[in-house]
Amino acid sequence: MNKLAKQRLSQNFKRSLKYLTLVFNDFFILALIFLFGALMFWYAKTLKTMPNNLWFYKPLTAFVLWLPFLAGRLVTLFKAADLQFLFSQDGEAIEQYLKPMISYSMILPTILIVLMGGILYPFAILKADLSLWQYLAMPVSLILYKYAQLLHEKVGLNFEKTYSSSIFNAIILALMLLEVYFMPSALVAVGLIALGASKKITTFDWNLAIENERVRKDRIYSLFSMFTDVEEKQVVIKRRKYLDFLLPKTFARDTPNSFIYRRSLLRNPEYLNLLVRMTIFAVLVSWLTANWRWACGLSCLIVFLTAYQLLPLAKEFDNNIMYRIAPIDYSTKGNDLVKVLDSVLLLQWLCISISWLLILPINFDLLIASSTLLVMCFLLGHFYLPNKIKG
Amino acid sequence: MTLKIEHLTGGYTGIPVIKDINLEIKPGQALGLIGLNGAGKSTTIKHILGLLRPQKGSISLNGVSLSTQARKFKKQVAYIPETPVLYPELSLKEHIDMTILSYELDADQAWKRAHELLKLFRLDDKLDWLPIHFSKGMKQKVMIVTAFLADTQLLVIDEPFTGLDPLAVANLIDLIKQVIAQDKMVLMTTHVLADAQQAISTYAVLNNGTIEIVGSLAEIRDFYGLKADDPFDKLYLTLNKVTGHE
Repeated sequence: MNKLAKQRLSQNFKRSLKYLTLVFNDFFILALIFLFGALMFWYAKTLKTMPNNLWFYKPLTAFVLWLPFLAGRLVTLFKAADLQFLFSQDGEAIEQYLKPMISYSMILPTILIVLMGGILYPFAILKADLSLWQYLAMPVSLILYKYAQLLHEKVGLNFEKTYSSSIFNAIILALMLLEVYFMPSALVAVGLIALGASKKITTFDWNLAIENERVRKDRIYSLFSMFTDVEEKQVVIKRRKYLDFLLPKTFARDTPNSFIYRRSLLRNPEYLNLLVRMTIFAVLVSWLTANWRWACGLSCLIVFLTAYQLLPLAKEFDNNIMYRIAPIDYSTKGNDLVKVLDSVLLLQWLCISISWLLILPINFDLLIASSTLLVMCFLLGHFYLPNKIKG
Repeated sequence: MTLKIEHLTGGYTGIPVIKDINLEIKPGQALGLIGLNGAGKSTTIKHILGLLRPQKGSISLNGVSLSTQARKFKKQVAYIPETPVLYPELSLKEHIDMTILSYELDADQAWKRAHELLKLFRLDDKLDWLPIHFSKGMKQKVMIVTAFLADTQLLVIDEPFTGLDPLAVANLIDLIKQVIAQDKMVLMTTHVLADAQQAISTYAVLNNGTIEIVGSLAEIRDFYGLKADDPFDKLYLTLNKVTGHE
């Protein structure tokens, strides 16, 4: 079982690495640098002007530091077929299987806690008036708590054992809030670890374990699918009747291609979420920079990234048998999709421009920014997209 | 008005599944394609639908060649697959609209016919549902409704009775009979001969990728040396022996 676990972890690592490479592509890194830079610029500026040692700084430090603790559940990599093929394995074998899984599950939360600890360090020391050792003890405690949580999550896979991550998280938040005032709670963490380690897998609930893993994987793939195509992701289409007003009133003016593309955009969460996310991203960046030139430049980049990430829609139905056998004119497929994407980009331009009216000073510069963004949409719709989507 | 399959050899890259198939379906004729799993039934259908490219041979419908006039050919063909394939993004109503758009049907007439079919299969109150809300049997009914709505010259049906309730099976058989009465053509693969016999009189036995015999059930019994009172399922045992699996 231990060998199987290591084999699965290695496969999972390769798969995750593949998606991480796709997610952190050149465009995304560029956007991330801009966003992170803007955020850090704002943080440094705010830190200089903030008054020292207000009453809520300490609990705020504990709360923000606790946030990365929420990331990362127990990775088990159980598959539906395990119910059939591994059903006969006893508790000891499952323990052996889960041992490397727990170590693997610690990687992500540890990285996030350390990263957040680093970012929060100037605020905690300079503004919240925490001593260096008191502050350093906090991320260390959190990492130990995470390990304890994973052990308890494992024990919760027994029949009739209840484990609630929400209650555990709430207890840890309470302990962290106490820690900023009284004492490092590392001892409590060690106690929790000892308690978790003392309990073993006896009557394993396979259905629960498989379902938990399915939900966990789905969450991870949802995250990846925000940026790239994920073949393992099962997309749940939603009707979203309230968006039907964006569809033409009569289908007679549609071609079969534009008919299906329009509905895919509005009902497939992969595309709709992308559109909403990127639009919110543009508004957020515009608000953070608070400068029409930066807002315009970054929004142009975001609109381009939106168009770029909507390109897979061109191949969405290529493997659907009913689409392939229908007497549809495939020669107009590319043009039909470009027309649909044109209207999507225009809608995005409209949303961003309206948000600018609320967050940027209304003057001639704003008109220039909005016009530039419109020209960008036009260029994408008339040159970039037709070139990328052929036939 | 004939479907002609001439010297069709095909399958997947490097794996020929069907060899030198010759078949002809005339107007008003329904042909049942029967054989064991892996005999090549689905591969033959995939070639007729244009999902696979023949390695040799040709397929034409009323003189329209699939390889040179694919869209014109496809306009004359509707398909009911064994496993229902719907567009997850479209509601039932929109599947009807999509069929109307794809086959360029008159919308008013098509919707009139659609309402009749939807009522027949008890789907008329589910027009706004997405495929995710349908059971497998209901999805299959949607496939049947859209295929019959397309009103094509040739109807290709792959294992149609799987997952359907007895009422829906009876309705489907009635519809197939109506289509045959209108001088259209039906090609059906099935293992459920008891149901198929109600609508189909001619069968082609496909074995190891080749057609062994085309004829009535009586002629097929004679060919395989079955007695008149033998259950027809005995044919499958005979085919199994022929292929050397027993």
